[in-house]
Amino acid sequence: MFRLTWKGLLAHKLRFALTALSVMLGVSFLTGTNVLTDTITKTFNEMFANAYAGTDAYVRARSKIDSQFGTQRARIDGSLLPQIRTIDGVLDAQGTLAFYAQMADSSGKPIGQPGRGAPTFGFNWVPDGKLSPWKLVSFKGVESAAPASDDEVVIDKASAHLGNLKIGGKVRVLTQLAPKEYMVVGVAMFGTIDSPGGASAVMMTTREAQRITAPPVAPDVPAQTNQFDAIAVASRPGISQEEMALRVRDVVGEPARYEVLTGAQVTAETQSEIEKSLSFFRIGLTIFAYIALFVSIFIIFNTFSIIVAQRLRELALLRAIGASGRQVMFSVLGEAVLVGLFASAAGVIGGIVVAAGLKAMLAGFGIDIPTGDVVVARGTVLLAMVVGTLVTTLSAILPARRASKIAPVAAMRDVALEPNTRKARWTIIGLVLTALGTCALFFGLFGGPSNGIAFVGLGAMVIFLGVAVLGPTLARPVSKVLGWPVARLRGITGELARDNAVRNPRRTALTAAALMIGVALVALITIFAASTKASVSVAVDRAFKADYVIDAKGGGFGGGFSPELAKRVAALDEVSAASGLRFGAFKVDGGTKFIVSADPKAMGDLFDIDPVAGDFPALGVNEIAISTKIAKDLKLEVGSRLPVQFLTAEDMTVGAIYAAGQREGLSDYFISLEAFDKRYPERIDNQVLAHLAEGVTPAAGKRAINEVLIDYPTAELQDQAEFKQSRLDQINMFVNLIYALLALAVIIAGIGIANTLALSIVERTRELGLLRAIGMTRAQLRAAVRWEAVIISLFGAAMGLVVGLFFGWAIVEALKSEGITEFVPPGPQLLVVVAIAVFVGVLFALLPARRAARLDILKAIEAE
Amino acid sequence: MAIAETISSPLAARAVTASKIYGQDDNEVRALDGISVEFARSRFTAIMGPSGSGKSTLLHCLAGLDRVTAGQVFLGDIEISTCKEKQLTLIRRDRIGFVFQAYNLVPTLTALENMTLPMALAGRKPDKEWFDSVVDMLHMRDRLAHRPSELSGGQQQRVAVARALMSRPEVIFADEPTGNLDSRSSTEILTFMRGAVRSLDQTIVMVTHDPVAASFSDRVVFLADGKIVDEMSDPTSDGVLERLKSLGN
Ligand SMILES: Nc1ncnc2c1ncn2[C@@H]1O[C@H](COP(=O)(O)OP(=O)(O)O)[C@@H](O)[C@H]1O
Ligand SMILES: [Mg+2]
Repeated sequence: MFRLTWKGLLAHKLRFALTALSVMLGVSFLTGTNVLTDTITKTFNEMFANAYAGTDAYVRARSKIDSQFGTQRARIDGSLLPQIRTIDGVLDAQGTLAFYAQMADSSGKPIGQPGRGAPTFGFNWVPDGKLSPWKLVSFKGVESAAPASDDEVVIDKASAHLGNLKIGGKVRVLTQLAPKEYMVVGVAMFGTIDSPGGASAVMMTTREAQRITAPPVAPDVPAQTNQFDAIAVASRPGISQEEMALRVRDVVGEPARYEVLTGAQVTAETQSEIEKSLSFFRIGLTIFAYIALFVSIFIIFNTFSIIVAQRLRELALLRAIGASGRQVMFSVLGEAVLVGLFASAAGVIGGIVVAAGLKAMLAGFGIDIPTGDVVVARGTVLLAMVVGTLVTTLSAILPARRASKIAPVAAMRDVALEPNTRKARWTIIGLVLTALGTCALFFGLFGGPSNGIAFVGLGAMVIFLGVAVLGPTLARPVSKVLGWPVARLRGITGELARDNAVRNPRRTALTAAALMIGVALVALITIFAASTKASVSVAVDRAFKADYVIDAKGGGFGGGFSPELAKRVAALDEVSAASGLRFGAFKVDGGTKFIVSADPKAMGDLFDIDPVAGDFPALGVNEIAISTKIAKDLKLEVGSRLPVQFLTAEDMTVGAIYAAGQREGLSDYFISLEAFDKRYPERIDNQVLAHLAEGVTPAAGKRAINEVLIDYPTAELQDQAEFKQSRLDQINMFVNLIYALLALAVIIAGIGIANTLALSIVERTRELGLLRAIGMTRAQLRAAVRWEAVIISLFGAAMGLVVGLFFGWAIVEALKSEGITEFVPPGPQLLVVVAIAVFVGVLFALLPARRAARLDILKAIEAE
Repeated sequence: MAIAETISSPLAARAVTASKIYGQDDNEVRALDGISVEFARSRFTAIMGPSGSGKSTLLHCLAGLDRVTAGQVFLGDIEISTCKEKQLTLIRRDRIGFVFQAYNLVPTLTALENMTLPMALAGRKPDKEWFDSVVDMLHMRDRLAHRPSELSGGQQQRVAVARALMSRPEVIFADEPTGNLDSRSSTEILTFMRGAVRSLDQTIVMVTHDPVAASFSDRVVFLADGKIVDEMSDPTSDGVLERLKSLGN
């Protein structure tokens, strides 16, 4: 029996290859995702292991703010350092500081791309030794030295290359203070690499670093100039990390304020943080891999259904000569297992290529990821093999079962076609599935369960299945309608194409269903993007009163500006009001929330904030302003106490309530810049907004502001329209990335079309031979096959469009409260989606069409 | 290659020292071995011979479905043995009609659509009068809207004959058209074919191994081992049977 399966496979290499290809692509993507994330993880892990290699104990503050942007921790008192150094067994102890610092080369151009991922750091220089991963190297023949005075720095080797800097030369450094020029006295390497993960690093004396990072002097807070982020301790040989941590803990005391970790713990914690932040990325890509595999299910199911139908007589003959139903079933399943194993193995190999491709693609979209040697984990291979083989085998179970039920007498019957009669039962099952999926989708979107995304995903999947089950019922009428113009336009060729599409409604519907998934998701993203863009436009138009926005080049979260910039812009005669705008995270009402900070006095000129209660412009350093929505939800009024937690827990007073609605850049919570300075260790403006004074022309205003920006090379001046456009561009970039990822699902559907057509052509060999014999030209035959593909893809696109519109509407509806206020299905773009689907159909029909046209007429008409 | 020219030729089709060799070296099979044969216009010719004697091969070569290895094949005055594939397709479509033993029809098309298929492929409309007369002659009027699966074997072959007649081809080639039919349906079809030759001046070349079928023709040529070994005019079934026996079949 196995030999039969094997021979069958060998005899149908193309069918085998196409079926395997559809699975292989999904498996490749899955493997590629895991290989890439494992590789990145390993790179980071090694980097951090390296960074903390000589650290045995580590002292830091306990209080911190966690958010999706990372963790900000309170600083610790520098006076701990001399005490720690006297502990018995301590070889060395060093205070460390890390902060935002952007270098600019001699022409004023910023080094690196802060807006595109890789961070730009400033550090205090920790002398070469166990506690610093940085090693001074000679650069272009000049020896490096450590910074000795406050205007000397050491820089990373990658930046030295990028900025064409040299030892003895100058470098401008932008920090939260005013820009300053330093002398480069040294170049350092991070272990054996030029820079860790593409980040840039500028290292200065501890005193200079402390000057830069010193918290601002708020009225009631004295300047704290001797502070560190942490103190790293290296022990003498023979003392365990745990022992050293204990000794340090004894000296430091104040366990509520300080925590002391071992070097191993810090390393592990940092590594797990990286793992966590990468998991978002891993999960995101994995979803697309599973979408692709989901599409393959339809294709495999369809292929095996067709194969079983075509082999009806052969299988019946097997039954007639004594094979049991089980044996027949296993011979079909055996083929599926073989296809699955082969496809998975090929997918694993392909995955390694995909990993490289994904990295290149993400780099193209501005997400640059550092990677070292490619990591192919055993788990990755195992997962790929299991998933690929299971998907293939499970998809073939129903067709295999059908094969096992073939009656031996079928060997004597003449025609071998799939059952064309639809049982009403299936229509009902399809409707029920669609309804159930819709319920799950709605529950996930509107029911507010904690794992809403899971319900949405499940709902979408079940809806796809439901519509696919309904497909065959729809196929005949819909294909007839869609094929009508084809038949009218293309005459007999079109008519044959339409008749063939209608001929096996199941086959047509399943093939179309595979395409439906891709089209629906693309349509969904298209609608979602158009709606988001429309909402952003509306929000900017409605809420923005500022004439100009100063944004970090390339957008993103990496960049920012010294508050000096806003001060200088505000001081311009041409500007009536200006303020830095900062975003932060804090804890309130049991959750981590987003908070905005700006100058409350300038806000009235920059945003349409509609204060409804309290004195917004006079917001104090211990006061918070909240939106009317929050006031209602938390039952607060002006003067209420609101328990919050920034670095430490405190009660703030509600100073004002404003009607924010849903507006770009204005969230539910607001504090003044002074209040922000007091509560966050780093004071960087994410944006600066400016309103021009009465009578100042835009040109004059722009000229004046640009004058200031010369000192800030990462700053980009945008008027309202440009700002809006840059927001829209960001959305476009994101959407294009998703399109690129969904392309996989569409391509697999294309392979499905090719496979179905190829199988149908084999089945119609005689008929095609007849057509050729009585005078159909090759071109006509090719055209007929192509038109059949057009009808199938139109059918799939139509179903996909309907489902996609529904999904798009539901999701936009669900995100109304998140600021997506407009539902905009973009007609022309959706038509383009349909056109692309049809194009894919025609493209993948080329090969089968050629094969059909190449058919040897004599063989065809004599074929048994 | 004007039609007038071909029409002017008294011969509808002919092969001149045509050979067809399958395989190579040791496996070589001479399906046609330097055969020369002529088929007159407006005549019903039957090709007979033992199984494997090259009947189908000859028919395929004459009809432009296959190429001879050596020699020439003419349709009228056109030498089709040198035509390109594309020309051959058009010649088949416009000047030749076919009836095969089975699987003559496109299952998705109705009887009417099947009958007019070659003209549809050419983008031409069938001549209404001609269409009506063919359909009526074959008694298919009330079956026009049916699909092949709804027709009996005999009816299917009648549709195939109608299709072959529809474009008034120069020659209709039929390979064992009655091979799958019972004797009553066979007689019907053969009667129609003979009728088409007699009253419509149609030229028909038919392969058959059935002496009764052959007796409907005007002339029988006998093939053995890829060569013409004999022929007979105005055959009777007994005469044909006699001759076949003498050929050692
Ligand atoms: N495609 C082919 N390849 C090899 N030999 C063939 C092929 N087609 C026919 N033949 C051989 O050519 C000879 C004539 O075949 P055919 O014309 O089909 O005979 P008939 O129709 O008289 O039974 C036979 O010996 C047959 O085996
Ligand atoms: Mg034959």
